Amino acid sequence: MSLTFSLAHLMGGVILLAAFSLLSQRRLAAMITLYQVQALVLSAAAFWQGYAQGEANLYLTGLITLIIKALILPLSLREIVLRFNLMRAVETAMPVAVSMVLGVALIGVAVLVVLPTTPGNISLTREDLAIALSVVLLGLLMMTTRRGALAQIIGFLSTENGLVLAAIGMPGMPFVAEFSVALLVLLAFLVVGVFLFRIREHFDSLDLSGLEQIERRGR
Amino acid sequence: MNLALLPVALAGLSVPFLGLLGTPQQGAVANAAVSFGVFVLTLVAFWGPGAGLLHADELGLVFGAATGFAGFTTAVANIFYVRGAAARLGGRRWRLYHAMCQIITGATLAGLYADNIGLLWASMEAATIAATLAVSLPRTASALEAAWKYFILGGVGIALALFGTMLVYLAAQPALGPGLAAMSFAQLAGAAPRMDGTLLTLAFVFLLFGYGTKAALAPLHGWLPDAYAEGPAPLTTSLSGLTLNVALLAILRFSHLLGANHASHGGAMAPGPFLILLGLVSIFLTGFSLSRRRDSRRFFGFSSIEHSGVAVFAFGIGGPVAIFGGLLHLLLHTLIKSALFQALIRAAALRGSTAPGHYAFSHLRGLVHTNKVTALALGGCIFALTGLPPSGLFASEFIIVSQTIQREPLASLPLGLGLLICAVAILRNLGPLMFSPAPHHTRPVKTARSTYLVLVHLGLAFGLAFAMPPVLYGLLSAVAAGLS
Repeated sequence: MSLTFSLAHLMGGVILLAAFSLLSQRRLAAMITLYQVQALVLSAAAFWQGYAQGEANLYLTGLITLIIKALILPLSLREIVLRFNLMRAVETAMPVAVSMVLGVALIGVAVLVVLPTTPGNISLTREDLAIALSVVLLGLLMMTTRRGALAQIIGFLSTENGLVLAAIGMPGMPFVAEFSVALLVLLAFLVVGVFLFRIREHFDSLDLSGLEQIERRGR
Repeated sequence: MNLALLPVALAGLSVPFLGLLGTPQQGAVANAAVSFGVFVLTLVAFWGPGAGLLHADELGLVFGAATGFAGFTTAVANIFYVRGAAARLGGRRWRLYHAMCQIITGATLAGLYADNIGLLWASMEAATIAATLAVSLPRTASALEAAWKYFILGGVGIALALFGTMLVYLAAQPALGPGLAAMSFAQLAGAAPRMDGTLLTLAFVFLLFGYGTKAALAPLHGWLPDAYAEGPAPLTTSLSGLTLNVALLAILRFSHLLGANHASHGGAMAPGPFLILLGLVSIFLTGFSLSRRRDSRRFFGFSSIEHSGVAVFAFGIGGPVAIFGGLLHLLLHTLIKSALFQALIRAAALRGSTAPGHYAFSHLRGLVHTNKVTALALGGCIFALTGLPPSGLFASEFIIVSQTIQREPLASLPLGLGLLICAVAILRNLGPLMFSPAPHHTRPVKTARSTYLVLVHLGLAFGLAFAMPPVLYGLLSAVAAGLS
C-alpha cells in the first residue's frame, strides 16, 4: 500500500513540475516537449492507478492518453510549429517571474483549499486532488498570461491533464475513460481550429474558398 | 420503456444524413421535419420518462417540450432564412450548419433529461463544440474571433464544471459509496444531508463558475454577445439560447443539493448569497451595457444575460414560490427570445440581407413603413422583454420581486433598480426602431407567412403567464417544491 502512495505521489509531482515549467517556458517547441512529458507521466499514472484499484477502465484511459495525448497531439502541434515557422519566443502578457510567483501562490491556494476540506477520508485521493487542482489552476494561469493561440492551447492541454489526473484518483469513479475521450474531442477541435486559423493568415485571405480555388488550379 | 431516449436519438441519428446529403433548401426542409418529429417526441416522453442515465424528471420534461417547440419553430423560420441566404455559404457548409442544428437540439435535450451528472456535463460539452463550429461558419475574421473567444471561455467553463462534477462524486462517497449511484441526481438529492458538506461547497464553487460560464452570468459572460452577433442568425441565437437553460437548471439542481445539506447542518454553506450576488451583477452589467449597443443581435444577447441573472437571483432567494417564479421566467424567456430572433431575422431580410453586420438598429429603423406585421411581431417581442404588463415576463418578475421583499428585503431594492434600468434601455430603442423615418431606398414589402409563427410564440407566452393550464401549474409547482 505504501508503494501505491509514494509512486502515485511521485508521478503527480512530476506532472505538477511539468505544469510549473510550462509557465516559465517561452519557446513553443520546448513547451510542446514539456507537455509531452506531462502526458507520458499521466498515462503511467493512469496505468498505476488501474493496477492499484483493479479497474480495467483506467487502463483504457491510460492507453488513450498515451496514444493520443503523448504521441499524436504533440506531433501535430510540432507540425504546426514547423509549417508556419513559429520557432520564435511567445509573447507574454506579464513578466515570467511575476507569473511564476502567481503560480506558487496558486499551488498554495490549491493545497490550502483541498487538504482541510477532505479530512481523513481517503488520503490517496486527498493529495492527488491537491496536485490536480494545482495543475488545473496553473494551466488556466498560463492561458491568461500567453498571447499566442498555440500557447493558450498548450495551457488548456495542461489544464486538461490536471482534470484527468483528478479523475483517475477518484475511487471507483465511472466514466473516467469516457470523460477523457470527451475532453480529447474538444482538444482535437482546438488544434484543428488553430490549424485552419493559421492557414487563413498564411494565405492572407478571409475565406477558405480561396484555398479550394488554389487546389483546383493546381490540379 | 424509456421514451425520453427517443427525441435525443432522433436528433442524433438525423445528424449524418443532414451532414452529408442534400442541397441547402432540401436540408432546411428535412431539418424542419426532423425538428417537428423531435417536438412530438418531447411530448410523448411525458408518458415514459425512462430510467437509469437518461431518466427525465418533470423539470426536464417541461423544459424539453419548450426546447422542442422553440427548435421546431426556429427550423420552420430557418427554411425561409436559407432560401434568402443560400448563396452566401457553400453547399458543404450548409450541410454542416443543419447537422449542427440537430446536434445542439439533441445535446440540449440530453442535458435536460440526464439524471447523471457526468452525462449532463458531456451533453453541455457537445453543445459547446457544435455551437462554436456554428459561430465560425461564416469564416469572416470577426466570426473566427468570436468563435475563438467562445471556445476558450467555454473550454475553461467546461474544465471547471468537470472538476466540480468529480468533487460532487467525492463528496457523495460517505453517503453512497463508489459507483453510479453517487452520480445520479435522484440519489444525490436523497442523500444530500449525509454528504461531505465542506467538499460539496468547494464543488459548488467550481460548478457555479463552470456552468455559470455556459449560462453567461457576469463576469463570465464575455463570449455571448460576440457569439450571438457573428454566427449564422437562426442557429447561434435561437437554438443556442436553449442551452442557457440547461446550464441554469444544472446550477439550480446543484444549489438544491447544497441547500439541503446546509439545512440539515451537514457543513455546507448556503448557496443563496452566491447566486443572489451573481444574479445582481449580471442584471446591472446588462443595464449599463444595453444603452451603448448599436448592433441589435449584440443588444439582445446582453438582454439574455439579464434574464439569466434574474433566474439565478430567483434560485438564490429560494423557497418554492421564488423557484417557481424563476422556472416560469426561464420558460417564458425561452419562448419570447426565440420568437424575437425569428422576427429580427425577418426584419433584416426585409431590409435586404440577413448576413451578420446587417442588424444595426440604424439599419432596421422605421420598420412600420416597410411591413406592418413584422413590425408588430418584432415590437411585441421587444416590449415583452421589458417585463412590463401585459408581457408574460411581468407575471414571473412580479412573483420574484414579491418573494424577494418577503424573504430578503435588502436585495429587493437593487433588483428593482436593475430591472428598471434594463427596461428603460430596451424601451429607448423600441420607438425609433418602429416609427422613425425608414432609411432611403427601402419600400414596403409583403408579409412572409413565417412571421405569424412569432405571434404564436407571443400568444403562448402570454397564455402561459396569465392562464397557465392546471396540469402544467401542478407539475411546475411540484418541481419547485421539490427543489426548494
